[in-house]
Amino acid sequence: MRLFYLVKKEILEIVRQRELLVLLFLAPIIQIIVLGYVITTDIKNVPVEVVNLSNSRAAGEITARLQASPLFRIVKLSEKPEKAEDVLRRGEVRAVIEFRDSPGRGRWAWTLPEVHILMDGIDANSSQIAAGYVNGIIKDYLQEKLRRAGLEMPAEAKTLIRYNPRLRSINTMGPGIVALLLTILSVFTTAFSFVREREQHTMDTLLMSRLRPMEIFVGKAMPAVLIGLLDMVLGIGVVILWFHIPLRGSVFYLFLASLLYLAAILSYALIISTVVVNQSQAMFFSWFSLVLFLLLSGFLTPLESIWARAPALAVLTEINPLRYLIKIIREIFLKGNGPAFFWRDLLALGGIAVVLTSLSLLNFRRFISK
Amino acid sequence: MKGKPETVKAVEVSDLTKRFGDFRAVDHISFSVERGEILGFLGPNGAGKTTTIKMILGLLEPSGGRISVLGLDARKSRGDIKKMTGYMSQQFSLYPLLTVRENIEFFGGISGLGRPAIRERQAALAGQLPETLFRLTVRDLPPGIRQKVALFVSLLADPDLIFLDEPTSGVDPEARRAFWHTIYSLRERGKTILVTTHNLDEAEYADRILVIHQGRIVLEGDPRSLLETRKADSVEQLFREAIGSHETT
Amino acid sequence: MRRLRAVMAKEFFHLLRDPRSLSVVFIMPLVQIFIFGYAISFDLENIPVAVIDQDHSEPSARLIRDFERSTVFVLKPLGGARREGDFEAADWALRAGRVKQVLVIPAGFAGRIRQGRTAEVGLIIDGSDSNVANRLYQYDQMIIQRFAAGLKGLEDVFQVKTKVYFNPESRSVFFFVPGLVAIILLMISAMLTASSIARERELGSAELLFISPLRSGEIILGKTLPYVLVALATGSFILFFSHFWFGVPLRGSLLVLLLFALLFVLTGLSFGVLISTLAPSQRVAMLGSVLATLLPSILLSGFIFPLDSLSAPLRALSEIIPATHFLRIIRGVAVKGADLRHFLKEGASLAGLSLITLSLAVMRFTRLRRARR
Repeated sequence: MRLFYLVKKEILEIVRQRELLVLLFLAPIIQIIVLGYVITTDIKNVPVEVVNLSNSRAAGEITARLQASPLFRIVKLSEKPEKAEDVLRRGEVRAVIEFRDSPGRGRWAWTLPEVHILMDGIDANSSQIAAGYVNGIIKDYLQEKLRRAGLEMPAEAKTLIRYNPRLRSINTMGPGIVALLLTILSVFTTAFSFVREREQHTMDTLLMSRLRPMEIFVGKAMPAVLIGLLDMVLGIGVVILWFHIPLRGSVFYLFLASLLYLAAILSYALIISTVVVNQSQAMFFSWFSLVLFLLLSGFLTPLESIWARAPALAVLTEINPLRYLIKIIREIFLKGNGPAFFWRDLLALGGIAVVLTSLSLLNFRRFISK
Repeated sequence: MKGKPETVKAVEVSDLTKRFGDFRAVDHISFSVERGEILGFLGPNGAGKTTTIKMILGLLEPSGGRISVLGLDARKSRGDIKKMTGYMSQQFSLYPLLTVRENIEFFGGISGLGRPAIRERQAALAGQLPETLFRLTVRDLPPGIRQKVALFVSLLADPDLIFLDEPTSGVDPEARRAFWHTIYSLRERGKTILVTTHNLDEAEYADRILVIHQGRIVLEGDPRSLLETRKADSVEQLFREAIGSHETT
Repeated sequence: MRRLRAVMAKEFFHLLRDPRSLSVVFIMPLVQIFIFGYAISFDLENIPVAVIDQDHSEPSARLIRDFERSTVFVLKPLGGARREGDFEAADWALRAGRVKQVLVIPAGFAGRIRQGRTAEVGLIIDGSDSNVANRLYQYDQMIIQRFAAGLKGLEDVFQVKTKVYFNPESRSVFFFVPGLVAIILLMISAMLTASSIARERELGSAELLFISPLRSGEIILGKTLPYVLVALATGSFILFFSHFWFGVPLRGSLLVLLLFALLFVLTGLSFGVLISTLAPSQRVAMLGSVLATLLPSILLSGFIFPLDSLSAPLRALSEIIPATHFLRIIRGVAVKGADLRHFLKEGASLAGLSLITLSLAVMRFTRLRRARR
C-alpha cells in the first residue's frame, strides 16, 4: 500500500503543473493532427519542366496530358534546348522532360518522340516516382494509339491493391505517428523525472523511507505508463475519427502491444536518466535514441532494403522495440490480422520489454546505493 | 551484538572512511552518540558532515570502517535501522507542488502509517499552524514554516534517532529559537538527535559538539566545558582555533 | 566588451567541463550519418514476391524471369500444395508480410498473346506501406510494359530514357546530409540556449544577470555565442566528414555557406531565447524547443518529406520555417554546385527571418528584465 501513496504523489505533482499537462495531453493531439497532414509520402504536384524539341503531334498531346495530371506541376514549357544540369541546379524543378524526334523508324504510321527524363538525383525518391508516372502516362497514350490502329497492348497488368486501395499515405503513417509521439513523450518525460528528483534531493528522503527500491521504481514508472496509455487512447481516437483510418483488428492486442512497448521504452529512458549527468545530456541522448529507433524501424524505409544494404546495421532492427510495434500496429489497423500472424513480434516485444525493465531495475538499485 | 538497552549507544562509528576517487571526504573518523543526547555536528562546507550522515543512514556506501546504529550493523540491517530513524535533509525535502496536508499524507503513508494515524497527524500539525498556511502548497510557504513542516514530517514515524541536516539555514532567529524548543522537547521524550549546522552559535544548544574539518574530527566535547577549559569566548573562536591548529599540524 | 567576454567565458567553461556533453554533440550526429549513409535509402531492394503461374508457358516463364532478374525483387516460393490452394497461400503470405506482392499469370496467357489479344497479368500488392506499394506498382508497370513492347517489337516506339544528375548512384546520403546538418545546427543553437537560460532562471542566478549593468543584447550574445561556435563547429565537422567519407559533393564557396549557416544558427538561437523567456522550467523549455523548432524543421522543411505534395496552407507554412530556406541553399549551392545568384531569395528570407526572431527575442528578454526590476 505504500506504493499507492507514491503513485498518488507522482500524479499530483504532474497534475499541479498545468504547462506539463498541456504538453502531455493537448499538444500530442494537435501534433498528431498536424503530422497527419504533413507526413505524407504521396508524391504529387511534382514540379517539372517540359522541353519540346520534337515536331511530332504526339509530343504536344503527351504534354497536354502531363499538364492535366495532378501528379505534375509544369513550371515551364519551353521549345529551346537548355542544359538540364543547369536547370536542375536551380532547384525549381525535380525533372526535365525532353521530347526529341526519334530518327524515323518502325512500322507505325505515327511516331512517338523519344522521351528523356532528366532527374534530379538528390531527391531520388520523388524523381523516380515521377519518372514512373511519366512512364504511365506515355503508356496510356500508346495504348490508345494502338487501339485506334486496331491493335492491343499484348500484355497488361491488372492490379489489386490490398488493405489500402487508394494508397493513402495517412493509412500507412497514421498509426506509426501515434507510436512515434508516444515514444517522444515517454522518452523525454521519463529521462527528465529521475534527473529532476536527484537534483531536488528528495530522492534521499524516498530512499530513507521504508519504501523498497523496487517500490520506488514502480511508483515512479507507473504514472508514466498511465500517461502513455492515455495518450495512446487519445492518439488512436484522433487518427480514427479525424483521419478515418480503418481499425480492422483487435483493440485488445493493440493495447497489449502498446503496453509492452511502453514498458520497453520507459525502461530505456530510465536507464538513460541514470547514465546522464544533467538535463541537456538527457535531451541529447533521448533525441539521438529516438532518431535511431525511428530510422531502423521500418517506419520510413522498408526493412528489406536495410538488410540488403547494411546487414550489420540491420541486426539492430531486430532489437528495436519500435520496429515490432510498427509492424503489429500496421497489421492490426490495415490488415485486421490476429495474433496468429504477429505472435512472434509480440513475443519479441515482450522479451525486449522484460530485458529492458530488468536492466533498468538493476541499474536503479545500483544507482541508489552508490 | 545487542547489549542491554541502556548501554547501547545510539550511534557508534569506528574508523569510517569515504573516498571519492583520490579525494578523501571522510578520513578514518571515530565517534559515538549517546542515547538521548543532542549532538552538534559542525564544520565548514565540504568538511564531510553530510557525507558522514549519509553513510550512517545507509544512503552512501562507506569505503572503510564500521558503523552501528542502535546496536545494529548499518550495512546488514539497513531496513531495520530505517524504521527507527528520521531524516530531515538540507533542502527540507518536501514536495513543493504538494500542500502541507498532502505531504503529510505521502510521508506518513510510505512510513507505514495507517489512514487514521495519518489523519491524526494532519490534525496535529493543523493545530500548530495558522489555517491559511496549512492549506498552501509547500512552494508558497515562508522558510520558517517550511522548516517546521519538514521537521514534523521527519518525525511522522516516531523515530528514536533523528538526523537533521542543516535544519535552520535561511530561517530567521525567532523561528530558530522555536525550532530548538521543539528539539529539546524531543530529547525529553528520550530521542537522540544529531544536528549538522555551519551556524556556530547554535552549537551552544547541543549537549556535545563534534567539529569536522577536511574529513577529520578536530574537536569534540561539551561546548560549555570546552569554552571554559580552552578559555574561549565563543564557539566560533573554539572553532577557528581548532581549524587553525589542525591546518598547521 | 570585457563584460561580454566574461559571460561568454563562463558559458564556455560550463560546456567544456562536461566531456560527456561534448562527445554527445559530436559523436551522435556522426553515428546518425553513418546510418543514413549505409542503411537508409528509399530504393527498393530485396522485396519478396510470390508467383502463381497457372499457364506454365514459354512467355509466362519469360515474364517471371524478367521479374526475377531485377534487383528489386526476390522470388519466394509459396507454401501452398494444391493448385487451387495457391490463392489461399498467397493471401496468407501477403497478410503475414512474407511477401509484399503476388504475381499471377492466369491460364491462357500465352494463348491470348498468340491470338493477338491482350493478355492480362495479375498483381496483388500489399498496400499497407503506401510508399513502397506505390513504387512497386510503378516498377511493375515498367517491367510489364517492356515485356509487352518486346512481344510486339514495339521497343523502338516506346522509348523512354532516364538520366540521373548529381547523384548517379542515387545514394540517399546526398539527400539527407544537408538536412542532418541543419537539424544539428538547430538542435545545438535552439535547445542548448533555451535550456541554459531556463536553467539559470530556475536556479535563480538569472536574477544576477537581470540586474547586472549589461545590456540585454550583451547578455543574450554572451550566453549564446559559445553555442554558436559549437554549433558551427559541429555542423562543419559533419559536412566535411560526409564529404570525405561518403563522397557527398561540396561545391560552391564555403565562406558563403558559413555565412548562411550563421544566419540559420541565429534564428535557432533567437527561438531558443524566446522559448526560454516563456518557459517556467528547464524541462518545459527543452520540450518546448523541441516541439517548436525541431519538429517543424524536420517535417516541414523538405528534409525527409517532399514539400510539393503538401496542401497550399502547409506549403505556405513551410516558407516561414528557416530550415526550408537553409536546406535549399545547402542542397543547391553546396551539393549541386549552383550559382548563388539563383538563391538570393532564400538568402534574403533567411536573413529576414533571423532578424525578426532576433528582435522578438531581445524584446521579450528586455521586457522580462524590466518586469523583474
